Amino acid sequence: MSEKIQGNIAIPGIAIGKIMKVGQSLDGYMAAYTPGSAEEELSKLEEAIDTISAAIDESVEAMRAAGQDEQAEIMEAHSFLLMDPMLTDGMNDKTREMGHAPKAVLEAAQECAEMLAGMDDEYMRERSADVKDIGRRIARHLLGVKEPEIGEEPVVLCGFEVEPSAIANIPDDKIAGVIMGQGSTTCHAVIIAKSRAITTVVGLENRVEDIPEGAKVLLDGNEGLVLVNPSEDELAAYEAKIKAQQEEQKRLDALKDLPAETTDGVKVQLAANIGLPEDAEAAAKYGNQGVGLFRSEFLFMGRENIPDEDLQFEAYKRAIVACNGETCVIRTMDIGGDKPLAYLNIPHEDNPFLGYRAIRISLERPDLFMPQLKGILRAGVYGKAAIMAPMVISVDEIKGIRAAMEKAMAELEAEGKEYSKDVELGIMVETPAAAVMTPVLAKYVDFFSIGTNDLVQYTLAVDRVNPQISKLYDHFNPAVLQLIYRTIKSGVENGKWVGMCGEMASDPYAAVILMAMGITELSMSAPSIPKVKEKIRSLSMDEAKAHLEKVMAMETGAEIREYLHSKI
Amino acid sequence: MQELNLKVLNKPGLHARPAKELVKFNKGIESDVVIKFNGKSANIKSMMAVMGLGAKQDAEVTVTIEGPDEADVAKAVTEMFANGFGFPDEL
Repeated sequence: MSEKIQGNIAIPGIAIGKIMKVGQSLDGYMAAYTPGSAEEELSKLEEAIDTISAAIDESVEAMRAAGQDEQAEIMEAHSFLLMDPMLTDGMNDKTREMGHAPKAVLEAAQECAEMLAGMDDEYMRERSADVKDIGRRIARHLLGVKEPEIGEEPVVLCGFEVEPSAIANIPDDKIAGVIMGQGSTTCHAVIIAKSRAITTVVGLENRVEDIPEGAKVLLDGNEGLVLVNPSEDELAAYEAKIKAQQEEQKRLDALKDLPAETTDGVKVQLAANIGLPEDAEAAAKYGNQGVGLFRSEFLFMGRENIPDEDLQFEAYKRAIVACNGETCVIRTMDIGGDKPLAYLNIPHEDNPFLGYRAIRISLERPDLFMPQLKGILRAGVYGKAAIMAPMVISVDEIKGIRAAMEKAMAELEAEGKEYSKDVELGIMVETPAAAVMTPVLAKYVDFFSIGTNDLVQYTLAVDRVNPQISKLYDHFNPAVLQLIYRTIKSGVENGKWVGMCGEMASDPYAAVILMAMGITELSMSAPSIPKVKEKIRSLSMDEAKAHLEKVMAMETGAEIREYLHSKI
Repeated sequence: MQELNLKVLNKPGLHARPAKELVKFNKGIESDVVIKFNGKSANIKSMMAVMGLGAKQDAEVTVTIEGPDEADVAKAVTEMFANGFGFPDEL
């Protein structure tokens, strides 16, 4: 019997798959667990360890049989480490102590993981997460939690929140869609799903709990609808829609090599937002012109020490080369207290999002900033690189960055290393302070790139991941448009180019009025490029300017959105 | 019981590769082998314990061996340390 649940649109498309629940808390299971005697708990633990160990061995055999030798080697080393007596003895000792096998297992795994995380050997540090995983796997077995399996049928990941890595770990042909209870369409999981064009529906809130593990679902990402156990009739109706979707895709593919220009010849540069160097290569199939935002955080995450200059240089070089002569804009480290890193040592903050983060850290930590700047300057030799600083609020910060760049160049000069003297410096305009001050800031930078995700948040005082108020988050809110227009005008008047790298850039309707304002670059998740290009090619700049004039006189975001969707 | 004083020759120290070799070696013998370094001790049945010793290149460790085949094991262990646990590229 089918059930319809209405959520919010995140990533369009129509997908059919089998539900795989993720990120479930074990709290409920723990509360319901009644431990037996210490002897009983120990024997349950033994059985659990044997079962999981056998399962891993089976995977290794299956991989060998399938000729996946490299993966088998890895899994085997994995199993070696995971059945290490230090871990199993730890689990046994704690079970004896606590008389509660699942709790003992999680604690023992946590301790081992912490020990590994502190080791000098990089391989062992990486195994730290694996140890926690095996602990959870054994605990789940003890608690009687059903283990989801990726079989032949593609899965639809379902949870209140979905870890970006959960999506990353499943290959394209095995993942059909994502369903989330939380409501943000700009959280990292959605951004990753968007870059792989995986249909996603968000905002189901607690209704995600009603969807059973293993259920067949049809995701209508175009409507934000989830159909659990769809009937034959419903499936047939959607088949027609899927066909239409495929034709649409063909049309968009044909756009790849056509220029992004209005009917009267005004061009805009459509670039890609990337998180890894290889994304720059993958973006090419969508017809991007360069990279407008290279998020450098991946270099800093999951490490115990600062990534060195050479490591960073190689990563930046790869992306710059893939841009084939077009600009590659690299954003400097944009991390803070919300993502604890061992080498940042940030004391607890009640509000890390308004705290010690991003450029504020970089300017005070030359040990972090120098390797990044030097890596970028060296990589700049291989193409066209630009540096973009996040979360800037003042002229002082920009001057500090320029000084740091000078110092980096002096050091490279002294070290006899080749570097580019032509790397542009720009800022992300994402704070109201920066937006308001753009007439002054324009004198000190080579470009602005508008970071609408945070600009909208800060300007409207709305937390974008809060489902209760996500309706208030609107990039067409007149307050936001005014700040954007001000920023673009400041750039244009000072001969500096202005682009946008926030999610607003991927809205075709927004693209039209942004072009009319004078923006010359829009950077977005690559799969969004064709749609935006199509919209731009459908009208003239004169028409766009006329629409802009109308829109800037309107009083509410709803009015503006309705107008644009009906007129363009 | 046999007690040996041996030196770690491998450049990366007693890291994952030698630790794994020791674990494999341990499966084929009867004796217990414990490596002591810097106030810590590690039974070679545990890869994590051996690595947790933090013994770098040139570290001097004490190896105690106890069991019916301890004489043979002592010889074998001495050889393992001397030839970099089978990884000449690390010497």
